[in-house]
Amino acid sequence: MSLSLLLVADSDSQLLACQALARFAGEHHLRVTVNAVPREGTPASVIDGMNRIGPLWQLSLRQLMADPRLDGFDAIGVYLTGSKLAEFRSVYRDSRHQLGRPLRPLFCGFNGVVLERFEEAIAWRLGYDLICLNGPRDQARLELMLRHTPFAGQRWVLTGLGRQRSAEPVADRANRLVFAEQVVIPAADHERRRLVRILAALARRSPDWEVLIRPRVAPHERTFHAVTTHITETVEKTLGGLPPNLRISDAPLADLLGGGRLLATVSSTAFFDALDLGCKPLVMADFGLRHDLGTPFFAGSGLLRHFDRAADIDSLAEGPDADPDWLEWVGYGQRFSPQNLLEALQDLKAQPPRQPKGLIHPGYMINAADLSCNQLRRAAEAAIRRRDYDEAARLLEIAQLQRPENRNIGRRLAAARIGNRIARRLALLVTPRFRA
Amino acid sequence: MRLALISDTTAALEACRLLGRHLQAAGAEVTLIVAPALMNGHRAPAPQVPTLVFEPLTAAASELLDHLDGAGVFVEPETLQPFLSIRRRAARLRGRPAAPLFTGPLLPLVGDALSADLLPRLGYDLICLHGPVQVEELGWLIRGTPHAAQAHEAIGLWGMPTAPIGFGVSREPLLVVLEQGGVPGGAKDKALLYRRLRSLAVAAPGWTVRLQPDYHLATDPEDWTETTLAWHHGLDADRPANLQIGRRDDLPLNLMLAWACLGISSPWLLSAMVWGKPTAVLADYGIRTDFNGPLFFGSGLMRRLADCLPLEELLAAPQPNPGWLAGLGWTIADGPQRLLQRLEGVTR
Repeated sequence: MSLSLLLVADSDSQLLACQALARFAGEHHLRVTVNAVPREGTPASVIDGMNRIGPLWQLSLRQLMADPRLDGFDAIGVYLTGSKLAEFRSVYRDSRHQLGRPLRPLFCGFNGVVLERFEEAIAWRLGYDLICLNGPRDQARLELMLRHTPFAGQRWVLTGLGRQRSAEPVADRANRLVFAEQVVIPAADHERRRLVRILAALARRSPDWEVLIRPRVAPHERTFHAVTTHITETVEKTLGGLPPNLRISDAPLADLLGGGRLLATVSSTAFFDALDLGCKPLVMADFGLRHDLGTPFFAGSGLLRHFDRAADIDSLAEGPDADPDWLEWVGYGQRFSPQNLLEALQDLKAQPPRQPKGLIHPGYMINAADLSCNQLRRAAEAAIRRRDYDEAARLLEIAQLQRPENRNIGRRLAAARIGNRIARRLALLVTPRFRA
Repeated sequence: MRLALISDTTAALEACRLLGRHLQAAGAEVTLIVAPALMNGHRAPAPQVPTLVFEPLTAAASELLDHLDGAGVFVEPETLQPFLSIRRRAARLRGRPAAPLFTGPLLPLVGDALSADLLPRLGYDLICLHGPVQVEELGWLIRGTPHAAQAHEAIGLWGMPTAPIGFGVSREPLLVVLEQGGVPGGAKDKALLYRRLRSLAVAAPGWTVRLQPDYHLATDPEDWTETTLAWHHGLDADRPANLQIGRRDDLPLNLMLAWACLGISSPWLLSAMVWGKPTAVLADYGIRTDFNGPLFFGSGLMRRLADCLPLEELLAAPQPNPGWLAGLGWTIADGPQRLLQRLEGVTR
């Protein structure tokens, strides 16, 4: 049976997650359309990569909801940040209900390893027909979180941490170590400078090797996290001159890993790209096992190394490969792949349509759409239009809790609270309405 | 069994005092070792448990610990590993077997907060956990690592009062709102929260709404900052008479007197729950990791502030989810005995 999927994503990481999901499309009668929500700074190379998967749309979420083609898919995969995920689920279901159109199964997932805030992320994702998890580790965490709660029946599927189509073995790999930079790991300037110094010293101790620093994004590009100082600037300020065998490269990561021997990272998901492409990954343990660095995730991998203590890169490369039990635990292996998702979606397709399970249970709270600030403001505007000012004030109060710095919410709230009818009307006319 | 419990923060000292009393009741001789900074002014040692004043790292190197059967180390995260290495080195130099050292999170933390708390504790002879949820999460953290054999024991909710301190409630309806220092942390967030709680008090004139800090608030109002509800209360010239600020030292008493209790994620909510107080966990912020939201996700007691009115409805609040509470360690009644048994095993 063939499947037609729409994948909706915005930032570059989310788009790459879609790419990883779609890599088996050709083999499984899968037709994938990607809607890349327009967003300033998304790398052009990532958008180009989407074009190779299948049709590429670039509609805003509002345009997408109004597009009749939305009903032509067997399922919709949503790869957005937390609040937008909840908003999509809510708006999609409301819009289909209003238009009298059938609901398609919605699924969502994670873009790579989940280093922190797992429970919070799940609280945004509850209510999706399927949540894609990486592997048994995430499954255990999900089950522990939902145990004894009304959400214990939430469906999930393990789709693994495989990212690339496995590479053909390369006989003669170059003595190249690629360092996969992360924009906020480590975050502190002095630690980023230390990181650069460690890599430079290692390059000097290893003249037979080429060391490449691969920035997560180019200076003009944006990812989910805001960057104040690009790694190129940190390198320039810290080192002055580079060792002859150290350079910064913005070549596609897959190209660099395809022919190189080693990948190094603090805690990037690129670790798994390297495994896919036959390049040995190493985890830089010089900053310790720290929750803010995400390094505890890799603690059982068997690939933690102290770069500043290593005699040279050859000595780093020695030793066993990744621990197979750990790989299985985190979700890297043949048992965990998008194939599991496709099978689950086929099952759903074969079943008669079901109404989504309710998400409102007294005493329990999920991070629902009405906790999304935009959704709250939109709902408040709707309440103002129907002259339910108490409800508008209630919604704006919660929105203000989410964004206390936003002055427009405060102004709108003050206007909605005015008791005098004429004064309130005037105040609502002059205060800025929410239009997104 | 002779034990020392070592602390260098107020929260750790309070937890150690509780644990010390329970261990004494279970037959152990307990001495508290307290950092000098904690003994200034009003914080006099509790008479029930003998107390010595030492810097933790000085105690680690001293012969004092040589004569004990074990020591519980509840110090700042950055002091945990230096303490361990100094203690082991000192024992080696003196040619004596090192008495077992135990440690553990003071609170029934979960998720990110728990793993961040546990990381510097790895390597201790024993980690005391609260309940099966923490046991499971520790297992994930150490799986496949050099610490995979880390000894641990779940000893229940040991770091907070769970036994009632009295049985009377106040004569007039009293809502205790547990305020945390950093949740929410910003001045504007606290101002908003104050305004909403003020509205609650105005809407419930028959109730006293007591804003109860669960952290040590300076006694001099001049020292209060914008990030405290007390500051906003002090500045509010038109504040309702039934909106009050509680003193930190009165927290257990106020909680006992309360008719109902409300909070975001203060650990004292757990005390209120196990004391049987009608409790509401404020749901308006959602499940946010930085607000410790995951801890109360399964409680079954979350509700929006707007849904708390009329406050009389809180009196009919359901009991907390028993499966969730058991997971946190509530059903472990013999924690101190479990700890002593495990320490005996480690000593042998």
